[in-house]
Amino acid sequence: MRNITLSQAVNEALAEEMRRDETVFIIGEDVAEAGTPFKVLSGLVEEFGTDRVVDTPIAEPGFMGLAVGAAMTGTRPVVDLMFGDFIYLIMDQLCNQAAKTHYMSGGKLNVPLVVRTNLGATRRSAAQHSQSLHALVAHIPGLKVALPSSAYEAKGLMKTAIRDDNPVVIFEDKLMYNDKAPVPEEEYLIPFGQANVLREGSDITLIGTSSMVQVCQQAAELLASEGVSAEVIDPRTIVPLDEETLLKSAKKTSRVIVVDEGHQSFGITGEIASRINEKAFYHLDAPVLRMGAMDVPVPFSPALEDITVPTPEGVAASARKLMSGEMIHAA
Amino acid sequence: MPHEVIMPALGMAQETGLIVAWYKSPGDAVKSGDVLFEVETDKATMEVEAQADGFLTQMRAHAGDEVPVGDVIAMIGEDAEAVHTEETPAGTAASEAADLPEGHPVIMPALGMAQDTGLIVAWHKAPGDAVDAGDILFEVETDKSTMEVEAGAGGFVAALLAEAGEDAPVGETIAVISAEKPSNPLQVSRSGGARAPEPAAAPAPRSEPEPARAEAPAAARKAPAPVRSDGGLLASPKARRLALEQGLDLTRLVEAGHPQPYHAADVEVLKSLPAKAPADAPAATRRLVAELPADGFPGFAAWAAEHAGLGDGNALLAGLAAASLGRDSATVTVESIGRTSVHSVPAGPLGGISDADPDTMPDLYLRDLRMSRLSTVNLGAEAAPVLTLTRSGDGLSITLECASHHLTAAQAVSLLSEFAGRMEQPLRHLL
Amino acid sequence: MSPAKKTSNTEDYLRMYRQMVRIRTFEDNANQLYLSAKMPGLTHMYSGEEAVAVGICEALEVTDKITSTHRGHGHCVAKGAAFKEMFCELLGKEEGYCRGKGGSMHIADQSNGNLGANAIVGGSMGIATGSAFTAKLLGRDDVTVCFFGDGATAQGLMYEVMNMAALWKLPVIYACENNGYSEYTATDEIAAGSIPARAEAFGIEAHSVNGQDVLAVNQLTQDLVARARKGEGPFFMELMTYRYHGHHVGDINREYYRRKDEERDWKDNKDPITLFGAYLTKEGIATKENLAEMQAAIEADAAAAVEYALAAKYPDTSEVDMHVFTDVKHALA
Repeated sequence: MRNITLSQAVNEALAEEMRRDETVFIIGEDVAEAGTPFKVLSGLVEEFGTDRVVDTPIAEPGFMGLAVGAAMTGTRPVVDLMFGDFIYLIMDQLCNQAAKTHYMSGGKLNVPLVVRTNLGATRRSAAQHSQSLHALVAHIPGLKVALPSSAYEAKGLMKTAIRDDNPVVIFEDKLMYNDKAPVPEEEYLIPFGQANVLREGSDITLIGTSSMVQVCQQAAELLASEGVSAEVIDPRTIVPLDEETLLKSAKKTSRVIVVDEGHQSFGITGEIASRINEKAFYHLDAPVLRMGAMDVPVPFSPALEDITVPTPEGVAASARKLMSGEMIHAA
Repeated sequence: MPHEVIMPALGMAQETGLIVAWYKSPGDAVKSGDVLFEVETDKATMEVEAQADGFLTQMRAHAGDEVPVGDVIAMIGEDAEAVHTEETPAGTAASEAADLPEGHPVIMPALGMAQDTGLIVAWHKAPGDAVDAGDILFEVETDKSTMEVEAGAGGFVAALLAEAGEDAPVGETIAVISAEKPSNPLQVSRSGGARAPEPAAAPAPRSEPEPARAEAPAAARKAPAPVRSDGGLLASPKARRLALEQGLDLTRLVEAGHPQPYHAADVEVLKSLPAKAPADAPAATRRLVAELPADGFPGFAAWAAEHAGLGDGNALLAGLAAASLGRDSATVTVESIGRTSVHSVPAGPLGGISDADPDTMPDLYLRDLRMSRLSTVNLGAEAAPVLTLTRSGDGLSITLECASHHLTAAQAVSLLSEFAGRMEQPLRHLL
Repeated sequence: MSPAKKTSNTEDYLRMYRQMVRIRTFEDNANQLYLSAKMPGLTHMYSGEEAVAVGICEALEVTDKITSTHRGHGHCVAKGAAFKEMFCELLGKEEGYCRGKGGSMHIADQSNGNLGANAIVGGSMGIATGSAFTAKLLGRDDVTVCFFGDGATAQGLMYEVMNMAALWKLPVIYACENNGYSEYTATDEIAAGSIPARAEAFGIEAHSVNGQDVLAVNQLTQDLVARARKGEGPFFMELMTYRYHGHHVGDINREYYRRKDEERDWKDNKDPITLFGAYLTKEGIATKENLAEMQAAIEADAAAAVEYALAAKYPDTSEVDMHVFTDVKHALA
């Protein structure tokens, strides 16, 4: 199988879906000739023209609102939000309009749109271009949220998102655009709500999202060399969430660490830990640990920024604590 | 067609409005847009306009009345004549103050927080009855409890404006007490009163569907509470579940000195512990029995109580037993039927015996089973030697049980012989 | 009244009159339902602005789209909605347009091209512009009218989407219903400069029209819709109108921001229904009796719909987690 970058995988997904369905179009800032600052969309405007690869003014609420109306009337917009941090700008259109329209209309109106944006720190971009804000949208009923963890995942999830009749927000990790992974030539889709068990293990479960899947994989390697067998799971979508797979693993290993790059407080890690706690409590041999980004705005200085996100060494160290039976956070 | 003037709902979740003033009188011509009345809600005071042209008739609520929103308070008719057609429906409600006898109004009291209405369970007085201020006038049920409410004023029951079984909003007048004996005491029900005439308006206004309550997570609701037979020890949920399923006691890990907190792996350690031996039984025990033809103690106890002021039989037994041990002082626990006492026995006269701290580890136990039907005991050793008294015909049987490390054989023989002698002839030994 | 073309269709005129009376009657009943505590929530009356909704919607086809506002009953009726489903929605009943999930401020009637009322002031401007974008992208010839009030002109979204609509020549008509008040504040206290000039700054052709004159509104809209279909859009209309009630039904003592004699003047001298009724009788299109009969029939129709809605059933509580997602029957199951 060929290896392609995550960026190429997203580009392929969009191109395939735009060829398949002429109602699909891309709208956002510098998406056409520029192909976005990350060059993810390069080449698409040549094939599909500026009618379907639409450069907008710098007006996130405006083009987001426009996409909602377009989606309600028969198209499938892919909104390109240059940075995940700009989610705040489109909140009313995304959360008050797109997320609620199907419900408020009693099921009469659909809003089949995709917001493709990104997350991830350690690009030295400081606090307004480094956030991982997927928990904000996952909190709103009516929105689906996908977090691809590789080129393969990015392509399959994007194609599914475009075909979904609900608003979907996809967060790509902007540090992974050049990461290569095997991606089949032939078409495939990755269904939402089906977690991927990347590595089977018996002693501890590491649940990771987006680039934290890699972090968990590396931590599992470290642990394996010490005789600890770690299972690694990627939920792929956090809405819908494949609880069944997560609970099955938690019951098997009885120890769980949830790793996500969003801020730790009130975030994805807490939500997943809480569900495991509620539904697998009598199988747990240790508290379910959350490992998120530090609850600080992302700092600019590399010396500071690098310590704000979970690392393989940190995850492995926490896993060792759980394995040893040491009291975690005991008062 | 006459137009209804209703108490308007002017705010979200507003239930009643207070009529501050009427700007038109019955019979007055009104035009749509004229200010009809002023209403006060929890938020503000507002002027309410007429919604139709005509003449104000059938005014049913007056300045000062608190009226539920949606209730009809007047009509706007096509001619002023209608003012004379104002009819009082059979069963007048409280809002028609003008038709009520004069006197002290009794209101439905607000008895709890956030209570909107009260259910009248019973009237304790009938219309026309004389009543004192402190008499119970009625019984009211709220969501919390049922209470009796006093009349609050003396006189005569001039009107009862709600029937037993009816709910009345708090603050609403439900009875009137007049100073003079009423010639025509009134008894009406609220339901027959001047509510909005269409029956549809009768039940709870603004009824909204009962929202389905979010259910607690199934696991939290259905899982049986784990039985905490193990006190406050620290163990993971999984370790506790495994122990419960396998009938294992995690406290045995504590006794074995295994460090907490316990995890699933420690349940394996627990399983490997040796089976629990019969509780703390030392390998060798001693058991000696003495038989006495007569029990000298009752006579002695009677004498001691009368002549020495020593009324505590257990303390006397403790003194005799301690003396038999041959020590300077001893602590003796006496267990008789229904009573356990611990005595500190110094050397010297029996009068020196005092109560000891119940938690003190005794040097000797004395079980007094003379009042029971037991004749022979073989209970094994305790933490200290045990002397057991049982009846034997007219006489007394004394059993000594102890572990071999408590007393040597000679000490055991000596203790029992000494004690048997003292029980047979207590006075002699005392001297 | 604007000069009527001799060729004008009697039926069209009568339908316009009828639609305005339907809106007024609907609102009178809704007001009564609210004041008598039979209607949950809050509602905003359209009475007084009927010529705007009717003048515009009568120039539209069923396939044309509108987006509506919190003061949206008028738009909904004018675009073809039925009383029964509307009253049911206002009362939160299962047979409402949105199965009771939207209520007064969120009625959507997709079958007639109404993309829904919006409770965020200015919230639907993006949606209307996007609907026009769809028409252009897919080569459809429908036009979208975005209803909003003078208050919404203060929202930034309007300028973002007008900019894009102008850049891409989208078939959208921004219809600003200027009723003189932004909630509880006079418009000249919240809007600097001229309202049509805001659109003109983007090169959008803007018109100001008497919103109490249904024929004037209708003729202007017909013209703009036809041109928008040909790709000459977008357009902007400022419709000078007046709301008879307060911001919402409970806003009844409003002298602190609006004088009573001003209200009286609009009701007595500028009422769109009275004016158009007088025009119809003067032109011999209808007699007073014809109009009174029409009104009586509409009132009976409304009374029946209210009665039906009051008796109608609420949605089953099991519906609470339905319609969260299109592909999940019960989101919390």
